[in-house]
Amino acid sequence: MSIVGFDTATDDVAVALTRDADAIAERQLAPPDGGRPRHASGLIAEIEAVVGEGGGWELVEAIGVGVGPGSFTGLRIGVATGRALAQALAKPLVPVGTLEALARGIGERSEASERLRLAVLDARRGQAFAALFGPGGEQVWAPLVAGPEELAERLRSLARPCLAGGSGALRFRRVLKAAGVAVLADPDPAHRVSARQVCDLAAAGAPAPIESVRPIYLRPPDAEIWLERDAR
Amino acid sequence: MVLLAIETSCDDTCAAVTEGARIRSSVISSQAAAHERFGGVVPEVASRHHLELVNPVVDAALSEADVGLEDVDGLAVTRGPGLIGALLVGVATAKSLAAATRKPLVGVDHLHGHVAANFLEPEALEPPFLCLVASGGHTLLAGVREPAGFETLGQTLDDAAGEALDKGARMLGLGYPGGPAIERAALAGDPTAFDFPVGMSRDPGFDFSFSGTKTALLYAIRDLDRSEVEERRADLAASFQAAVVKQLIAKLDKALDAGEWPAVALGGGVAANSLLRRRTAELCEGRGLRLKLVPTELCTDNAAMIASAARFLEPARYPDYLEWDAAA
Ligand SMILES: [Zn+2]
Repeated sequence: MSIVGFDTATDDVAVALTRDADAIAERQLAPPDGGRPRHASGLIAEIEAVVGEGGGWELVEAIGVGVGPGSFTGLRIGVATGRALAQALAKPLVPVGTLEALARGIGERSEASERLRLAVLDARRGQAFAALFGPGGEQVWAPLVAGPEELAERLRSLARPCLAGGSGALRFRRVLKAAGVAVLADPDPAHRVSARQVCDLAAAGAPAPIESVRPIYLRPPDAEIWLERDAR
Repeated sequence: MVLLAIETSCDDTCAAVTEGARIRSSVISSQAAAHERFGGVVPEVASRHHLELVNPVVDAALSEADVGLEDVDGLAVTRGPGLIGALLVGVATAKSLAAATRKPLVGVDHLHGHVAANFLEPEALEPPFLCLVASGGHTLLAGVREPAGFETLGQTLDDAAGEALDKGARMLGLGYPGGPAIERAALAGDPTAFDFPVGMSRDPGFDFSFSGTKTALLYAIRDLDRSEVEERRADLAASFQAAVVKQLIAKLDKALDAGEWPAVALGGGVAANSLLRRRTAELCEGRGLRLKLVPTELCTDNAAMIASAARFLEPARYPDYLEWDAAA
């Protein structure tokens, strides 16, 4: 069974095609030097490329899409693409948590062993998107948005050792270490979301009606916050 | 040729199916209620709604037209101008639908869409004509000599006409969207009660500016006390609306003097304003010109007009459109 999976919650465009859990093709497009992410221009082109390598859409049995949390615009491009492909091709669409995919990659590192896996993305504005998973992949904390101090506070209460990865783990490395959390080395590829993980999670996950597949934003639009402030 | 078009440049999620100049379906899911409490369109809120709505709206357009995606000859989508996050939802959706079915895709300029609304049945208008597009997002005076494009004769230097009406309505406490609210309030008012300046009246060109009229309204309100504003709200609304419409008509008149145009067309949400419609009709009657007023649902943003423009443009074949971005 072939699965195409992709994620655009981070600055990367991550796309992969797997067959029976083997990666047939995988792409990871970083932004050009100093430029914007290539979500808009790169995503569907890369999807078409990996599907072509895998023998065409006829052989694809499901579409996995990363639903965040992460960049709002990136997520919307990814989810809109996944929904439209599923709509046009009548293929099952499986929403996959970006942090879960990230944690799965962290779990594959030898350092991980029996540690908890903390997936952390830089959420800008001095905050992080984070979720915590056990060694078997089970979710310990649902995705949350928090400042580094608040995150550290929560981490200090953990009874078990923990390994962190992701753009947020790099950004807040010092705070995480001070809270007793190990962080993957700087150049480790598991800091980036791999679409192969999205495919694997989609293979194990349940398809959802396309209208119900939506980004995990975690933050309301700013205008909402201002309106609430004005009301107070 | 059967086309499926998608339009998500501002706060309406739209899809339509056309066959030649005939509209087979045109579905518009307005988000006005979602933006009302903010007193204007909030880009992030609009983008979130577009993503929620775009697939059901496409489905509805196809089923109302009684066609499947496989039956359409091509797709069309608005690439800009508009809110970038909102446009991206439509562009990503259209590219994916087209790619999955290997159909051609046409990227359309939103303003060309407003112009092309006039090419739709019933009573399709053929170029040449002069077209005034006025809405919350744009104010454009377009010279249309062929269906594949238009010449920009004038545009606004600051607020769009509809945006000025929205802001005026907010100053007067009339709610959102402002255009219809001002028009309603103005019905009971005297348009000559306040002498608000008409923008760009000395300017020899065809560009527009509404900031002076808006500032004059602000000062007029400031000079009155609260109960007087209450009492004279209808007069303020009527005078303000009159000044905005007067400028639109003056520029239209000037452009008609400068060129040979056998017909005039109105587009954009402000074209639903009955004072503007009346004044334009008088202008055309006086000059013996044909006036084309498209139905209101084709004045405001819609996807049928995008399909209408796409008919006259070169489509991109698969895979040439895969790397398209939106053009805010
Ligand atoms: Zn418009």
